[in-house]
Amino acid sequence: MVVCAGLVVRPGSDIFTPQELANRMVALDYGNGTAYAGLQMLEGAMPREAITTCAATVNSGDRLDAVLRGEVEATVLQEPWITIAEKKGCRVVSTTFFHGTWVADPSVSAETYAAFVRGVTRAVRRINADKRRYVSYFIADFPGHPDVEKLTPDDFDLGRIQLKEPGPIPEAEARWAWEWMASWGVLEGAFDPRAQINAAMEREAHARAAVGLSA
Amino acid sequence: MTAMTIERVRAFNGLDVLVARDEGLFAAEGLDLRIAPAVGDAPSTADGTLTQPVSVQGSLMDRGEAAMFQG
Repeated sequence: MVVCAGLVVRPGSDIFTPQELANRMVALDYGNGTAYAGLQMLEGAMPREAITTCAATVNSGDRLDAVLRGEVEATVLQEPWITIAEKKGCRVVSTTFFHGTWVADPSVSAETYAAFVRGVTRAVRRINADKRRYVSYFIADFPGHPDVEKLTPDDFDLGRIQLKEPGPIPEAEARWAWEWMASWGVLEGAFDPRAQINAAMEREAHARAAVGLSA
Repeated sequence: MTAMTIERVRAFNGLDVLVARDEGLFAAEGLDLRIAPAVGDAPSTADGTLTQPVSVQGSLMDRGEAAMFQG
């Protein structure tokens, strides 16, 4: 799955570009991919010393409410909250995309992971063939939430819903991500591909998956 | 059928997994995929810092209650 993250400001905000968030407070749910996507969007627009963030709840609806109340200038949201924010008049000043990465414990065999990859791959193909049919999942995630329940599948920008068939992690990408996080002090030590990636198991699992998918 | 439990996903980061589960695509591969419920006693990310974040990602795997999570 490719996750879309949107940097959102409140209606009427004087901020139209990420650069204008320099020295303005951005709420991030540290520890989650969306927060790091937010940092990357800000980092591409200003010197690091101008990036100003605070810890915020993982609850996207609550972060959006904080923006609407003016408690923070911006936050980073995923779907369906980007769509809800837009319906409330908020402005999306930047979007980015990032890969989710599966982490498995040693009990997961190559055969089991291959079965998982085959199931996900077939799902990706079905969804990509008719995304609108499946966006109701974003609504179903928040039963009883009034803002979410007002959404219909037609409200969603399908360009923000991107799926890619799973594959091995390119070592260069893993290294870059590690070193980038270490540069922010989130991780310590040098990247060690042998410690982070079981390449033999990964190769076997994806090879098994490929055979199953071509059958 | 091999059973495997993974940590919770939502549509934004696991639409493919949810569809595969609901449409029997894992079962067709002999995989009984179970998705763990949300962690009930989860600490708040609002209590973390950039360099010392508070996150539940991986917590069920650490406790042996899930075999995979998405980071």
